[in-house]
Amino acid sequence: MRDAQPLAHGLGGPADLPIPPELAIAGAVAALVISFTVLALAWRTSRYDAATSGRLAPAGLARLVDSAAYGAALRVLGMLFLGWFVLAAVFGRDLLTNPAFGMFYVWWWVGLVPLSVLLGPVWKAISPVRTVNTLFARVSGSDPDRGLYTYPERLGYWPAAVGLFAFVWIELVYPFSTELGPVRLWAAAYLALMLLGGALFGSAFYEKADPFEVYSSLCAKLSVWGRRDGALVVRSPLANLDTVAPLPGLAAVVGVLFGSTAYDSFRDSLAWIRFTQESTVSTFLLNNLALLAFCAGVAVILAIGSAATGIDGGTRRSELPALFAHSVVPIIIGYIIAHYVNYLVEVGWDTLVLASDPLGNGSNWLGTGDLDRISWLSYRPTLLAWIKVAAVVIGHVVAVVAAHDRAVRVLPKQHQVTGQLPMLVAMVAFTVGGLYLLFAA
Amino acid sequence: MRRVPLVATVLTTLLLLTGCGSDEPEVGTELPPESGRIELTFEGADAPPTERVSVELGEEVELVIKSEEAGELHVHTDPEQTLEYAAGTTTLTLTIDEPGVVDVERHEPEALVLQLEVG
Repeated sequence: MRDAQPLAHGLGGPADLPIPPELAIAGAVAALVISFTVLALAWRTSRYDAATSGRLAPAGLARLVDSAAYGAALRVLGMLFLGWFVLAAVFGRDLLTNPAFGMFYVWWWVGLVPLSVLLGPVWKAISPVRTVNTLFARVSGSDPDRGLYTYPERLGYWPAAVGLFAFVWIELVYPFSTELGPVRLWAAAYLALMLLGGALFGSAFYEKADPFEVYSSLCAKLSVWGRRDGALVVRSPLANLDTVAPLPGLAAVVGVLFGSTAYDSFRDSLAWIRFTQESTVSTFLLNNLALLAFCAGVAVILAIGSAATGIDGGTRRSELPALFAHSVVPIIIGYIIAHYVNYLVEVGWDTLVLASDPLGNGSNWLGTGDLDRISWLSYRPTLLAWIKVAAVVIGHVVAVVAAHDRAVRVLPKQHQVTGQLPMLVAMVAFTVGGLYLLFAA
Repeated sequence: MRRVPLVATVLTTLLLLTGCGSDEPEVGTELPPESGRIELTFEGADAPPTERVSVELGEEVELVIKSEEAGELHVHTDPEQTLEYAAGTTTLTLTIDEPGVVDVERHEPEALVLQLEVG
């Protein structure tokens, strides 16, 4: 059990050891070599087409997934999670042993990533705000998919980018992130805004403006599960990734997801800690600026990398960042796995143990309260370092291939090779920067 | 005045993102690991700049605290450990038996005073 003091320190015990420098360098070299090999050798006509790609999933599986009972069961599951969180957050004690923190920061933020990569758009299926919106619509006899207004196309994913930034801000910058009041307030504001959005714009709102649905559904594009004309299909993750809708704000979403994870590594580095200690400017302000700079920096590098190409009359330069943003998703997921894998296993498991006693009165409702901690991976730092570098390099390979296929589809013939180079440089910068942070922080 | 940290942050970000930061000098003096003895001197609210010190897994570390006032240190292992020191010189012992980077924080005023790289 942790000491019973609310500390502005985040969850979990020790941070991971840095990865060895030789492994970081090996990963960076691999990323470089792979990038140019793909550029030189890969296909010259686009292979991915959302209208034809994928095989129909086995009929039995599709029937199950599309059945009303299965959908309802998942909705009940989502409501149970919400109910458990509310129980702990409202009636539990304001201590780090309250499972609400782990449910909020670890299960919700980190756990959704592997679940979505394995199972598809999980949050869309269990989202309590979708469920409540549907129930409201049913009671009032209206259509849950339709609101009072049509969702403005120009907004795209921008509301989700803002929501995701609000989450990483409370997680990584806000000094009182592990006190119950702020977590409750954040969750309440999220629920209220999502229900309001659903009432105004119908459930189409959630697809583009719910930060967690956008996050989860982006990760799900690297799963094998997709839809074609509504039918469940099995696709290669690369073909599935190609079906990401290039809406406005996608580059900002990518910037927040990757930039915030990189910032999380960076803020633990000795160089940054020393810099903030020696500066006369408040650490809180510096941390705010650094988080913003990381997120904006990633989005700007992506924008420049994708738009710095020759184009002809058929392409609009301003649309290129959104058209290429999907290709950064594998780099993000590789880096999130590298950064959080041990944290997810250890603190995610701790949360399951703590969840058995949501009110903090010593009860063991789920029977998980006596389970031992899992620290297996912490004791194998070499294996952990290999997992991290492998995740980053695999993410990079998938990203480069995805960007290449998009380039040969949308760029004019004479610019297809040279036009890819700036994007390739941006991707190598992301990957090498990520490896550097894993080594230096 | 506000612009300087912003520019510094943006530059640092760009340097890091392009991987050019790797030629920075190694910060933090590492005491020889066999000594297992770390000295921290606090002067009122002031603490020395944070150092990162390598220690062996399961090795006993001696923390020598010199301070005008009594206080406590929080060692962010799991479970967390609290070490109290008195005014004057206090020698504390600490053993960490899980690998990782462990933050040692002083409270009131709150400050990260030490990182132990346990491996």
